[in-house]
Amino acid sequence: MAILLLDIITTASILFVVAAGLLIVFGVLKIINFAHGGFLTIGGYAALVTTQLHWNPWMALPVALLAGLVLGAFVERLVVRPLYARPLDAILATWGLSIVMVQMITIAFGRGTNFVESPVQGAIPIAGDTYSLYRLIMLGVAIILGAIMIGILQGTRLGLTARAVIMNENLSRSLGINSGLVRFATFSIGSGLAALAGALITPLLSVDPLMGVPWLLNAFMLVMVSGTSLISLGAACLVLGGAQVAISTYSSPVLGALSIMVLAAVLLRIRPAGFARA
Amino acid sequence: MPDSAALACPVRLPSQRGRTERRLILVFSVIALALAAAGPLLLDTYSISILIRSFLYGAIAVTVDILWGFTGILSFGQAAFFGIGAYALGLSVTQYDFTAPIVTAALIGGPLVAAAAAGLVAWLGFGPKVTPLYISVITLVLSVIFVQMIYSGGDFTGSSSGLSNFDTFDISMEGWFRVAGVFLVAVTAAGWIFVRSDFGRLLVAIRENEQRCRYCGINTARVKTLLLIGSAIITALAGFAYAGYNDVIAPDLGNFQFGTQLVIWVALGGRGTLIGPAVAAVLIDFISAWLSGSLPFIWQLIIGLVFIVVIVLLPQGLGPAVANLFRRGRTRPVAARLAPLPDADAAGSGALPAIQVESVSRNYGSLHVLQDVTFTAGAGELVSLVGPNGAGKTTLIRCLSDGQERSSGRVAIEGNPIGRLAPEACVRFGLGRKFQTPNVFDALTVAESLRIARSRQERLSFVRTADEVRLPAAAMRVVQATGLSSQLGTTVKHLSHGAKQALELAMVLAMEPRVLLLDEPTAGLTKSERSLIGEVLVELVRAHGLCILLIEHDLEFVREISSRIIVLHQGSIVMDGTVEEVTNSELVHTIYAGEPHAVAA
Amino acid sequence: MSEALAVETLTSGYGEAMVLRDVTLRVMAGEVLTVLGKNGMGKTTLLKTIMGFLPVRRGQISIFSQSTVGQPPHHLAGRAVAYSPQDQAIFQELTVEENLQLGLPRVTRLAPELKRVAAIFPFLAERRRQLAGTLSGGEQKMLIMARALIARPKLMLVDEITEGLQPSIILRLANVLRQEKSANGTAILLIEQNVSFALSVADRYAVLSRGEVVDQGDAHQPGADTSIAEHLSV
Repeated sequence: MAILLLDIITTASILFVVAAGLLIVFGVLKIINFAHGGFLTIGGYAALVTTQLHWNPWMALPVALLAGLVLGAFVERLVVRPLYARPLDAILATWGLSIVMVQMITIAFGRGTNFVESPVQGAIPIAGDTYSLYRLIMLGVAIILGAIMIGILQGTRLGLTARAVIMNENLSRSLGINSGLVRFATFSIGSGLAALAGALITPLLSVDPLMGVPWLLNAFMLVMVSGTSLISLGAACLVLGGAQVAISTYSSPVLGALSIMVLAAVLLRIRPAGFARA
Repeated sequence: MPDSAALACPVRLPSQRGRTERRLILVFSVIALALAAAGPLLLDTYSISILIRSFLYGAIAVTVDILWGFTGILSFGQAAFFGIGAYALGLSVTQYDFTAPIVTAALIGGPLVAAAAAGLVAWLGFGPKVTPLYISVITLVLSVIFVQMIYSGGDFTGSSSGLSNFDTFDISMEGWFRVAGVFLVAVTAAGWIFVRSDFGRLLVAIRENEQRCRYCGINTARVKTLLLIGSAIITALAGFAYAGYNDVIAPDLGNFQFGTQLVIWVALGGRGTLIGPAVAAVLIDFISAWLSGSLPFIWQLIIGLVFIVVIVLLPQGLGPAVANLFRRGRTRPVAARLAPLPDADAAGSGALPAIQVESVSRNYGSLHVLQDVTFTAGAGELVSLVGPNGAGKTTLIRCLSDGQERSSGRVAIEGNPIGRLAPEACVRFGLGRKFQTPNVFDALTVAESLRIARSRQERLSFVRTADEVRLPAAAMRVVQATGLSSQLGTTVKHLSHGAKQALELAMVLAMEPRVLLLDEPTAGLTKSERSLIGEVLVELVRAHGLCILLIEHDLEFVREISSRIIVLHQGSIVMDGTVEEVTNSELVHTIYAGEPHAVAA
Repeated sequence: MSEALAVETLTSGYGEAMVLRDVTLRVMAGEVLTVLGKNGMGKTTLLKTIMGFLPVRRGQISIFSQSTVGQPPHHLAGRAVAYSPQDQAIFQELTVEENLQLGLPRVTRLAPELKRVAAIFPFLAERRRQLAGTLSGGEQKMLIMARALIARPKLMLVDEITEGLQPSIILRLANVLRQEKSANGTAILLIEQNVSFALSVADRYAVLSRGEVVDQGDAHQPGADTSIAEHLSV
């Protein structure tokens, strides 16, 4: 039972870390960044490169973050900004970008699956059993990341500015906020977070060019259900992630893999506002 | 402004253009069929085998374009329908034998299951308050569910290895080439005729302004559902044919990557052009197959890059860009004719009140926009609803025309309670609503817009384009007096603000309503236009027994034409009486405290 | 007296429809110009064009003698211009405090400035942590005014601030605006439909009808309100 609970909490944490970047981009730019999966994959391969260069495995994180930030900046300028007035087309264009990224990675690294060295090995004893230390670290990462993001959003002028743009972009502009800059920064940070998440999850799974796709789909559904609130995202990850774990354990892993998507779709139909406050 | 081209070239009637186009498409179809028949004699074996698949994909791309390019429904789910059709045949034949009854069952069963899935998706995705993104989400999920179900099917479905070497039709590859070719030509030709028909214009209208369509009484959710089901059936048939030809099928057939490929082909070929997507699908799939041997990933990379460039720089797609190179001279303008309808009896029964409002309230959380509003209005009354901005006037109109809008209370139109009915149902009780800012179809012509407004009374053809638009007397008056009758072929986007207002009013009147809700009908009109509208409204009330409720800020106009004034302030009715009573009232004077001139007797 | 805002032969609109035609206006420092007109006549379009939300088709706009044509809207706040739009003018889901904070430039501390505006509208201090969306209509308008005043603007663009308000609050706002003009020399462009309120605050008036200025003059002149009435009811 304790193991199940830990599985639920750690799965929720992983989902949160993956989806957080997508959420802030959705909130500020009002688009779903379909290249999110691509950035995740880039982060994963950044971790692979770090392993191959025999660097300290923790180095994968800043490398991935930087790669995501820089690439995200270029993408925002060249692809997303021209499509400011056409949000559905922006979604399509980011999907095209995802294809390009996956192909480039395949050309560079081949189609095969690779494994990455985990920065932390082993398990710790809990409640008469042992549990993966790395998964527990992911729990810590999610909490810290969430705390930092919420802290910035609620407690700083920068965060207030971002929240203002999320709520009403035109009003923000008339009050002196350079919303173009806010969008640029948000997209870059969101992409950076995606890459960081990719680097963080690779020790748990493996690295291949298509690794981003299932995560994109799940993150996408979680964001749609959460609206623009990080706290709602946390709740959604717990509830839906918990459902996934429960269904995988007690029923079948295949159904489990579908559970987030199906439950989110049903939830959105019943309550289009999702988990956001009434 | 009248289309100056009309002076230079004689105007063609829609039916003439329709006939010409249908003849052209039949000629092209015959040529294409001849090519399909001759193809195997001219091409090498490898090309033939690839093209069979490409032709099937082309047909699916046509359905995706109808859904997305014309109607605005972005569906990634065609892949799942394709997979369902393919596995219907594969599974039946693997489990049982290749016999006529089994195969027939699969031929019917596959599309049936696909149609059911489409129906479910439509029910989920086309509800009233659902965002357009949701249908894309759901169709994506459908593809994932399909693939997972196949994976989890173990030996029964062949799981990830798929099904192979099952007995199938004893048709040669050349034969399959012709079958696929005929399928593509048939779907494209039928699709072309469909989108060029009057009904096809409705698809564009739904994409442009679904709300307006609903307020013309059209059940847009049903139209979209039928389109999705139709495309699912065609796509499943393509899947069936694919499995019939290719005796190996794998779950990849139904994955969402294929679904997005289709969208990419449509975007590149030119959404909303039908031929472009068909050509693009065939070409790109064919070239991909040839190149996949030598440079598979680079080719995909190039496609991805071209796709991004096209979306950003050429949203119309490559098709139209290429077509424009070939277009020479101006096409002759096309415009319908107007024809008057015989006068309907002034059927205002008078027995039941036209509008009954009882204790209607509308709250947004703690904000009370309307509080306990109660009044009744009957046939032959012209009621003006006045009040300061923010008093709740437009909200009240919304509560009268959309059953979902009010928080509490009861509304009845011509004695029919609207309950929680959607606008298209409320409108069927004889209600017409004109919006504050012109709510029309920018991409259609004036005549097409009027025809859509008449669509409940006069069904739209799936094949032809009618020459005449028949209008009731009131609509005809508005159209002729405002000069719209000489602009029937003009695209609405190019009309002036006043003309758009007039068009919307004409469209609403074309529905032959018994009750008319008008939100600032004279905003932005010239003095003469306003007098005209005033005359028309008074005539409707006196001669035809309509009940009109209108919101106005122009108090001169209100005084001239109203029989009754209701004053709304901060969500409640503060006064309801004759023109004299209201204009002489102290209370009203105080509310309008800043405008003494407005209420001077 | 310096010129705060100058609009010359301005033509602008939405897409192909020109809403404003050849509009010329001037507001000097310490002066209130009120622009009157019915709905749909172009008043909000005028402010949106001045702010830079709509492109200028023809003509010139200068603020403090510098042209602003083609500049993005967010530059104006830095030039001491405060805009109070008619719709969606506050952040419903932010607190009173946060709304006011956004009216101030980045580095300014809120506390002393809040004290200053709370002297004019005391409820702001008491309800600083309350969500702006839960305030009453009148309180929300006062919040809009406070936010405009908090950054010590040199030019205020005010769009129908009295819409939907009860007379007592309207009087209060009139006092605030008159005070602002005389004590701080602020230039104010006041868009209004409420003529008596507008004339009680303004020095000069202009009437906009169908996108054109059809009447203008001195607000204190005896025949002003009848002249305006005639032009408004056309």
